[in-house]
Amino acid sequence: MGDDPAVTLGDVRKTYRVGEPVHALDGVDLTLDRGSYTAVMGPSGSGKSTLMNLVGCLDTPTEGTVTVDGTDVTELSDRDRTSLRGDEIGFVFQTFNLMPKLTARENVALPLIFQGVPGSRRTERADEILERVGLGDRGDHRPNELSGGQRQRVAIARALVTDPTLVLADEPTGNLDTETGAIIMDLFDEVRAAGNTVLVVTHERHIAERADRIVHLLDGRVERVEPLRDAGAAG
Amino acid sequence: MKLRESLRLSWRSIRGHTLRSTLTTLGVVIGIAAVITFVTLGVSLEAGILGDVETGDTNRIYVWGSPPDQGGGPGEGAELVFTQRDVTELRDLEDVAAAYPWTPLPTESMAHGNDTVPIRQGVIATGPEYLDSEQIDDGRQFTEGEHEAVLNPAAAAQFEGNVSVGDRITVSVPGDSEVNVTVVGILDTSEGQGPFEGFGEDPRVYLPADPVYLDLAGEATDDPRYLSVIVEAESPRTVETTRDSARDYLTSNASDASDYLGDDLELTLQTGGELLDQIRDILDRVTAFVTGIAVISLVVGAIGIANIMLVSVTERTREIGIMKAVGAQNRDVLTLFLTEAAILGVIGAVGGTVLGAVAGWAATEYADLPLSYPFEWFAIAVGVGVLVGIVSGLYPAWRAARTDPIEALRYE
Repeated sequence: MGDDPAVTLGDVRKTYRVGEPVHALDGVDLTLDRGSYTAVMGPSGSGKSTLMNLVGCLDTPTEGTVTVDGTDVTELSDRDRTSLRGDEIGFVFQTFNLMPKLTARENVALPLIFQGVPGSRRTERADEILERVGLGDRGDHRPNELSGGQRQRVAIARALVTDPTLVLADEPTGNLDTETGAIIMDLFDEVRAAGNTVLVVTHERHIAERADRIVHLLDGRVERVEPLRDAGAAG
Repeated sequence: MKLRESLRLSWRSIRGHTLRSTLTTLGVVIGIAAVITFVTLGVSLEAGILGDVETGDTNRIYVWGSPPDQGGGPGEGAELVFTQRDVTELRDLEDVAAAYPWTPLPTESMAHGNDTVPIRQGVIATGPEYLDSEQIDDGRQFTEGEHEAVLNPAAAAQFEGNVSVGDRITVSVPGDSEVNVTVVGILDTSEGQGPFEGFGEDPRVYLPADPVYLDLAGEATDDPRYLSVIVEAESPRTVETTRDSARDYLTSNASDASDYLGDDLELTLQTGGELLDQIRDILDRVTAFVTGIAVISLVVGAIGIANIMLVSVTERTREIGIMKAVGAQNRDVLTLFLTEAAILGVIGAVGGTVLGAVAGWAATEYADLPLSYPFEWFAIAVGVGVLVGIVSGLYPAWRAARTDPIEALRYE
């Protein structure tokens, strides 16, 4: 921890070579301060997904540096990058991505299994987080017994269970109706208010406007950064 | 990730696809059950046959003369070469405990009162030592020099109202000769009494070669001869010495057998132990062959696991992506899938062993064999089951571990 920013991207380039080289990201600098709430917008092909994969330690850049919680991701082995991802990043996906055969509680506790946390402690922690997202009574339900909004809340609980440096959400309301989406976004406000760093990737303006600032991507570059409000003044 | 966790998660996944897991396991169950059943049957068959023979047989030497390279079972192709004088001389040899002929009497029929039944084979002229007195259920052993006979239950049952001890029967041989004998004993089993007879249950009548065989054969020829001779050693330990003595005598000019053997026939002296080894060898080969076929079904079972695991990896690509996104190492994913395959293998092996044990029991009941379980095979079966699971899960698990989380999370 310390005073390092949660995430720093320094002149990051990502090039895919499928015949002609494609520059998915072409020199991106971005800093996510601790406790900040950032939205990333851009049309398809602007590099949103690539940015997410890099920040989420799922991928490494072709050039440049990605630092998460003070650790340079590009220097890490695949194994250490996986560990860092498990410890410091919480993912929330558009399609929820819950394990269908596991209960809500088990889904929330899943990341802790890979950290070697003992069973009783896992259950305790999962219940605590489920309570926090308002699903204290749904722990024994499987994903197919939950509504879309509830599933996304389970996913958010799972993202929070390891107390990560960064919660990374990719179109978190994409599969939800407007009303449920708004409830989910309220939950992100709470997450942020609790001190977590949040990065939301979206193409919907009203979702992005919940953040402190919007980073606009275009053709693999940061087109502009649009400040919305001072950090800490979520609304 | 701890082993306990991977066991738990794998078990959840297996439980999540009950029908599929059951069918997959069934392949291994059938494979292991087939192996266990056939091995049990083989071991029981061996125990059944050898158990019948073994007692008192290991100090016997079976002697016959047949054309060289005859092959086949004991006594195959044997010709009449041994005289009563040879038998007497053998008896007098130092290392010989007993020597007696064994020769089938060619017969046409047996009569008990007005009840006449045809009998072509199964009348055996031998010495009293040939029959184990403990196997005589009723009456006693026949006596050399007397016109007596011992019947097995199958022979006794040939006549209406059975033949019992004290009855007289008339044995007719080709050439209108006949001989009357008194039944003095009934055996407790109809199984063959030695390797010359085979082990099947057939009607058999045992008579003293002297005088019955000598009298009947003497009517047709001046020098009645026996098909084979059985020499007994004092103990199984001295059987080799006894065999050497018997061979020395029979191949020497002093014996009548050496004349009749001439250059065309070869003398064979086989110990009971050797015959047992031969039988055991044949049974082992049969068991190995049948088990080999059963192993094929086990291989099919293994392919079934591999196939289902591959399908499972593809189907759960997204789940693999999720696990990797939340911090699962390649090794964790590998362990999960391997554990799942191993569990399927273990369940299959345990189920197969139980099923095989039951099937083996049923088969031995049906075949009327003493049940003898090859317990070491049970342990092997479980080991093989785990191995089958792990080996067939290896490639699918490796594929799962190598899955790129970015691709996997995008997978529909």
